[in-house]
Amino acid sequence: MTTALSRQRSPARTEAGPFNAPLPVPALTIRRLLSRVRKPGRYSGGEWNSVRKDWSETALKWCFTYPDLYEIGMSNLGLRILYEVLNERPNCLAERCFAPDVDLQAELRSAKVPLWSLETRRSLHDFDVLGLSLGYELVATNVLDMLDLAGIGLTTGERSEADPLVIAGGSIVLNPEPFADLTDAVVLGEGEDVVLEISEVLQSLGWHRRVCGRDGQSRRGVDRATTLRALARIPGVYVPSLYEPRYEADGTFAALDRLDEAAPPSVAGRIAADFETRVRGIRQIVPNIGIVFDRAQLEVMRGCTRGCRFCQAGMQSRPLRERAPEVAVAAAEAILRATGYEEVGLTSLSTADYTFVQEVASALHRRNPEVVISLPSTRVDAFTVELVDAIAPGGRRSGFTFAPEAGSQRLRDTINKGVSDEEIVRCAELAFSRGWSAVKLYFMIGLPGETAEDVLAIAGICRRVLEIGRRRHGGRAQVKANVSTFVPKPNTPFQWDGQDATDEIETKVSQLRKAFHGKGLVLSWHDPRSSLLEAALGRGDRRLTPVIVRAWRNGARLDAWDEHFKFDAWIQAFDEEGLDPAWYAQRDIPTGEHLPWEHLGAGVSGDFLLRDRRLALAGRTTADCHWGPCSNCGAPAVTGFDCDTGDQGPRRMLISGGGGTVGDEGGTGPSSRRWRYLGPPGDARRSDVAAAASIGAAAYCAGDNVNLDRAPRRGRSHDMLGTQMQSKDAGTNGLASPVEAAGGENSG
Amino acid sequence: MSEAVQRWRIVFARNEEARYLAHLDAVTQWERAFRRGAIPVATTGGFNARPKLVFAAPLQLGMLAEHELADLFLAERLTAPALRERLTAGMPAGYRVIDLHDVWIGAPALAPQLVAADYRMTLLGVEREDLASAATRILSAERLPRERRRETKTVAYDLRPLIIELRVRDADAGTLAADGAPAEAAELWMRLRHSQERGSGRADEVVAALADELGMTTASETPGATETPSATETPGVDRPRIESAVSVRERLWLEEELTQHGERDQAPSSPEQTAG
Repeated sequence: MTTALSRQRSPARTEAGPFNAPLPVPALTIRRLLSRVRKPGRYSGGEWNSVRKDWSETALKWCFTYPDLYEIGMSNLGLRILYEVLNERPNCLAERCFAPDVDLQAELRSAKVPLWSLETRRSLHDFDVLGLSLGYELVATNVLDMLDLAGIGLTTGERSEADPLVIAGGSIVLNPEPFADLTDAVVLGEGEDVVLEISEVLQSLGWHRRVCGRDGQSRRGVDRATTLRALARIPGVYVPSLYEPRYEADGTFAALDRLDEAAPPSVAGRIAADFETRVRGIRQIVPNIGIVFDRAQLEVMRGCTRGCRFCQAGMQSRPLRERAPEVAVAAAEAILRATGYEEVGLTSLSTADYTFVQEVASALHRRNPEVVISLPSTRVDAFTVELVDAIAPGGRRSGFTFAPEAGSQRLRDTINKGVSDEEIVRCAELAFSRGWSAVKLYFMIGLPGETAEDVLAIAGICRRVLEIGRRRHGGRAQVKANVSTFVPKPNTPFQWDGQDATDEIETKVSQLRKAFHGKGLVLSWHDPRSSLLEAALGRGDRRLTPVIVRAWRNGARLDAWDEHFKFDAWIQAFDEEGLDPAWYAQRDIPTGEHLPWEHLGAGVSGDFLLRDRRLALAGRTTADCHWGPCSNCGAPAVTGFDCDTGDQGPRRMLISGGGGTVGDEGGTGPSSRRWRYLGPPGDARRSDVAAAASIGAAAYCAGDNVNLDRAPRRGRSHDMLGTQMQSKDAGTNGLASPVEAAGGENSG
Repeated sequence: MSEAVQRWRIVFARNEEARYLAHLDAVTQWERAFRRGAIPVATTGGFNARPKLVFAAPLQLGMLAEHELADLFLAERLTAPALRERLTAGMPAGYRVIDLHDVWIGAPALAPQLVAADYRMTLLGVEREDLASAATRILSAERLPRERRRETKTVAYDLRPLIIELRVRDADAGTLAADGAPAEAAELWMRLRHSQERGSGRADEVVAALADELGMTTASETPGATETPSATETPGVDRPRIESAVSVRERLWLEEELTQHGERDQAPSSPEQTAG
């Protein structure tokens, strides 16, 4: 085994082929290790649509390094997309590696075998670039584990010339500062285009070439420092080592100094081109073992304009872009054909807000009646219930999920989720009447401006909903409330607001538990201690990298998993570094203070965040520009993307069947297949569609050109209020993003 | 629900790439393969209509296979070449169709016809001679009481009547030496009873019985089969370990096949004779 390892690590000068060709980890070694661990299917690869390219014939080698277990990582849509984008290029290959569970970690360490990629089973060390997906703060120690298991230097300073570049992306990298010393570069925003730009730069510099220096050390065709300076010139790429932070005497962040002229003063997140008409990630990998989101995924919309003030994903993924309905239907069917999946999820941050959701869902349902269509991220409104009801198979009606987020109307206005109690009750009533016997409600506690009454209002609204369920389903009716702790996120209007102290949260939870007694009411809550760490790491600065390393040395790993979470290891690590997690998490930051992440931007402008926060304090809401007026969020300026939502009213996207040209509204002749804009929820034309589908008529389908104006008007108005879950991310910002929305799906 | 008009018996093999599929995962993957290959599979009725596919016997996670059987019911008739082409187009990596037989649709169910299964295992950490003598002792024993863990409870049973035959041979040295495995190795071949009514023998249980006979312990190649994952460190700390590097189910036997062919080419013999 030791010989196997040393073979792995040594530069393969004698190997055939133009590029470095180290040997894979031997098959028997892997087989023997996997015989001793749980779920070996996580580490064996060979899935349908996985791509195994010829190592010695391919120039640049990426390995997507997902710092969580296979079941989580493989659910990530961003990974599925970028895997295809890179593997389509003849001169690139992309493989995958996920965090090993504790049993395999121990086996790898005792056998001195490096962590291998799933495709060609080579050590991560043998790759040119590790694409590190950061979708959740608590994966920090898994990153260290994976690097350590592959023999790669943990921090940028410890990495040798031969070590691969570690390039991070994902939904939390808008504040990558706590990870700054672990990552050679960070990709902000959407990754589809920038991974190819990075690949080109690396290849033109010769980063993929291996040479053996006179000293016997393996090197690359170009040195690390030159490479990083070149990467820093790519828009959307942030190279942390080219900057140095300064702090005030009181410990607050003062400024970030540029150490190199290659380093731009600020970096803005990227927006992928052609989202509306081009779908990437068709040949999605079909895992051999069950994963969290074991279904085909088609992203129908990117960005979100609801403007929930706690939501990082919504703020940073603007501007809103919607897939043309024809493109969406064709892509969903292509993905289903390529994967054989029995279920397709139409994903986005708020799929019910997708202008064409009705058309796309009913077209898919009609053309593929055996396929289950799931709509994650649903709003609290009747339209959503009608929609899900229309496409859900009759048999499976276990639970319907809504996210009111706060218990009282006042607090919901503060967080800009202006849904009323009546609306929640009406939705629940509709869901119960359509056969669902359980309703799941998501809430947060500890939101800015929250009072004891607001907390108890959560129990109040749950009771009201249960009463309604009882009337229809008797004792079978159930209301499940899921309560998480508010985590202030960078780049949101609430980024300055401190989190509640852990004991305050615990008090609130215990008050809720008392109020939640009785049959049919179920309360679950998030560990406030992990929320504390999420907030501390989320709003942290570079002084936290040593804390992460210490926590890992203290035994913290797989922190996102309750059974492995070691809070004490983290507290000890903060102590040893002389830092306080509460200072990072719970402090109300004065709005004038400099923020460690203020040089990085995406989605909306800093001005907008400040303005929106003032509105929040005043209890005023900000309209959704998808249907309402422009709120001047600054997205076009920040992203350079021409945003056509705004004062002109709802976005008009009319794509002809021919080739994606945008035409005029209406005017659909019988021969020309054209899409017409249907108006926002609440628009009479739209409710007709919902009604038609829900009674099974399904007359209006993709390409059928039914003129809705002739359909009978029911005049029912669906209101525009909606829901958006915290940290729920459709999964394509940057390299990848979290899949925490597991609970928030309605597949019927 | 769609009615079946044709029934195909698929003879298939499973290699390294699909070895870590548990049975239920394998069923899911096959169903997806049928969709990818656009195979008109008949479905069962009910709320959750499932494709009509029946495996003769679940294949343990970690086990390779050379001659497995499954019955597939189609809603539209296909020729053998057409079915083979569509299966090949969508099959997950690691599965290979060996043969297709057009079976009468009213023929008896597949699983109850099963009577035996042959296994071949490469065992590391044990000398051939030792293994052969242990095999002889086991075969000459009247009873072989063992315990099998089923979820939470432990069931006592007699392994001996489930063993039809055991043979010990030299391991294929070529494949193992390259990987730096332990020097001692042997190959164990066994035919075990496989019956829905009278019980089925498990290959890893036989290896465990042999290890017990030799005062050794096992590290199963099929995770979770006979021991918990961490058990490698705990119970048999100082006992030497037999490790199974390759385990293959060579063939499943239907009753009529075994009476026709099986007995003839495998005359009863003691393990040493065959081994020597």
